[in-house]
Amino acid sequence: MNNLWTDTGYVSINKNGEQLCGDKVEIIGTADDCLTLVLADGLGSGVKANILSTLTSKILCTMIDAGMSIEDCVDTIVKTLPVCQVRKVAYSTFTIIHIEHNDTARIIQFDNPNVIFLRDGKSVDYPIVSRMIGDKTVLESTVSLQLDDTFIAMSDGAIYAGVGKTLNFGWQRENIVDFSEAIFDWSMSAKTISTMIVDECNSLYEGEPGDDTTIACVKIKKRNPVNLMIGPPSDPKDVNMMMNLFFSKEGAKIVCGGTTSTLAAQFLGKPVNTSIDYCDPEIPPIAYVEGIDLVTEGVITISRVVEYAKAYLSSNDISAPWANRKDGAAQIAQMLFEKATDINFFVGKAINPAHQNPNLPINFGIKIRLIQELAECLEKMGKHIKVSYF
Amino acid sequence: MNIYICVGSSCHLKGSYNIINLMKEALEKNSLSDKVNVSAAFCLGRCTDGVTIKVDDEIITGVSPDNFNDIFDKYVLKGNL
Repeated sequence: MNNLWTDTGYVSINKNGEQLCGDKVEIIGTADDCLTLVLADGLGSGVKANILSTLTSKILCTMIDAGMSIEDCVDTIVKTLPVCQVRKVAYSTFTIIHIEHNDTARIIQFDNPNVIFLRDGKSVDYPIVSRMIGDKTVLESTVSLQLDDTFIAMSDGAIYAGVGKTLNFGWQRENIVDFSEAIFDWSMSAKTISTMIVDECNSLYEGEPGDDTTIACVKIKKRNPVNLMIGPPSDPKDVNMMMNLFFSKEGAKIVCGGTTSTLAAQFLGKPVNTSIDYCDPEIPPIAYVEGIDLVTEGVITISRVVEYAKAYLSSNDISAPWANRKDGAAQIAQMLFEKATDINFFVGKAINPAHQNPNLPINFGIKIRLIQELAECLEKMGKHIKVSYF
Repeated sequence: MNIYICVGSSCHLKGSYNIINLMKEALEKNSLSDKVNVSAAFCLGRCTDGVTIKVDDEIITGVSPDNFNDIFDKYVLKGNL
């Protein structure tokens, strides 16, 4: 295992007036070894396109992940896709990005705009071999990977953005290349890059997309562990043990909860300086303790983080309200969603008697459930999660 | 004089945000802003009877917008005279 990590993220917006998206992104194996991402764009829009792209992406992703040849995959798709009654064809374009051991990428493309490849933030041409499979021309490439290498796959909705509205010929691939280079920043997540490009497409379409538009991004990042502690241990004798384990971990440290941060500060022999600034009246202010990267209140803050995480995971959300805010919940979201690859939760099971008041929405069960929900969301983002209870 | 206002979960839900604003206003009105330090505190350990504040070493619980003025007169103004 090397010190690299494959980060993925995608965003779709639907053609104006459609409830279903005709583009579909499927990802398998967000683990260490292999990762397969497929972006499929079904013929037409609405239900038909959605069925075509769902079948195509699911079949391709499963078969490629299982190591089967591209000939077999294409053959299966040709024989499986339902034929459109009106157009008498079964058709879906696709882009496959298959990453092995975080060091080699194989890209297979059929009729989607070509994948953009950024190295050190600049677009680079990569060798493309064209091959006929049946009557289809499939483009294949293999690239050795470096840190920060970024692949941007798109459906044709992206390059038609603005046609007949803000632009004569649409937002062509070279314009998207320029835009991607301009926004590129090493710390950005794949999801943020996708979101920014789709957001730009949406504004070129003046908020009324003429076609389903999808960006899927794969980015090679350095592993970045983050540790989050919430709640004192159920047995007060275990405080030192819990603190020892927590502070000996590699990576950034987040401590949530008033009592917990007081105990952590005592352990470190440092004072807790609580900020008085309510950046958001609903989220208690953060505090500062030397040696801890972020100190926040507990349950109220985390429940906001869970809300942010759920919105982040929906493929149609391009708002990311947490990205620019400074309250505790937004700062946790930035650290966990954007920067972290491996997250260790240290959850103390002590019960705060004051929180058992039925009038308060912050009882013990809620805390444990919130952490479980957050861990599930982060796993869906492709991160390694470990939860330890004390 | 140092005043701490608890912003732990319980006190937050019981209205720390309002108490902080009331405190800042009251200090300004009495021209005490530069003589009194107002800070937030994480959990003063009286979660059941919030909002809790601490004036120097004295802990006062159950502060609300209703009794704020009385508490301010009793602990802050008197303490300052």
